[in-house]
Amino acid sequence: MHISEGILSAPVLVTGAGLTAMAVGYSLKKMEHKEVPKVAILSSVFFVASLIHVPLGPSSVHLILNGIMGTLLGWTAFPAILVALALQGVLFQFGGVTTLGVNTLNMALPAIICFYLFSKGIRSENNLIALILAFACGFLAVMLSGIMVAAALVFTGEPFIQVAKLVIIAHLPVMILEGVLTAFCIGFLRKVRPEILNV
Amino acid sequence: MKNKLYLILTFIFLIIMMINIPVFAHKVNVFAYVEGDKVYSESYFNDGKKCVDSKIEVFDNQENKLLEGLTDEEGVFSFEVPQEEGDLKIVLTASMGHRAEYIISADELGDTVGSIKEELEEPVPVVSPEVSSFDLKEIQSLIENALDEKLKPIMKEIKKSQEDKISLTETIGGIGYIFGIFGIIAYFLSRKR
Repeated sequence: MHISEGILSAPVLVTGAGLTAMAVGYSLKKMEHKEVPKVAILSSVFFVASLIHVPLGPSSVHLILNGIMGTLLGWTAFPAILVALALQGVLFQFGGVTTLGVNTLNMALPAIICFYLFSKGIRSENNLIALILAFACGFLAVMLSGIMVAAALVFTGEPFIQVAKLVIIAHLPVMILEGVLTAFCIGFLRKVRPEILNV
Repeated sequence: MKNKLYLILTFIFLIIMMINIPVFAHKVNVFAYVEGDKVYSESYFNDGKKCVDSKIEVFDNQENKLLEGLTDEEGVFSFEVPQEEGDLKIVLTASMGHRAEYIISADELGDTVGSIKEELEEPVPVVSPEVSSFDLKEIQSLIENALDEKLKPIMKEIKKSQEDKISLTETIGGIGYIFGIFGIIAYFLSRKR
């Protein structure tokens, strides 16, 4: 779902870049020195995970993991995703340079939204509730990303209904897969290293 | 420290997974070759799936659009070699914001255009030399056709392999850069406190 160069119109690109810059600035101010290793590792996980694709009908989509990144990193998900996307662009030509702002926003904004929505829930006492909310977190994060990609394309001028339908349908399997993945990860973390979640 | 250890393990696990399963990426590719008097373009996602019904536009080297069309079920779109001189740029636009370009050089196009021109300009020679020079021409075009046939799959393979590069080296390099960048950020953050 990385948008390539030359597809989006200038206003969309500029808005995306501006909002991302603001968010990254804010999160770098808030970031603490001791958080950095965690951010770096999750950024690498994101970088590698985007290479794992889900074959799907006429097209293909890939894992995004922004649900997990959001709940574990909060605002620092922005620089983590920005750095990973920048390197993917340079090394693998995923997405483009001008689209870096929009692509980062599309993936990181849902992450932070899910952070605010779900971080209390996945730390709850009840295991089952935590797992269900973790699934919802992964699911929603991908869905919001899909909606934002559709919005970017629509604001550039593509016909709305077709784009929206295509994007949602294409990402439904990924939403479910990531929901499950997020649930597993959070479940594992709760059992093995609950300290991580208390950030 | 234990927290970080856990995260490192998860991430090593992901790397191992990545090595073991065929890892394909999230990019579209288009390449093109000349056969006879037509240019054939092939469009596909990096995991091998063809781009069906995707838009192809062809531009000359002045960025003027010469023609456009849609790919068929095999991801192929073909068109006659245009009269314009110079390189051609072929642009593929696939669904959900994917785009790729391929530049086919004037040399490759020139082969066909040149040979067509040669045939047209050939003056009608005298009777006896006519027989031998006609044979020569025929032989030459037969050879060219045979070569085209044989070389086409090889050229396709070469072009395809040039495009499909996701190497482990690059991935590890990327991760190195990530740690480096965050290391620098950490340095600056520690100075602030």
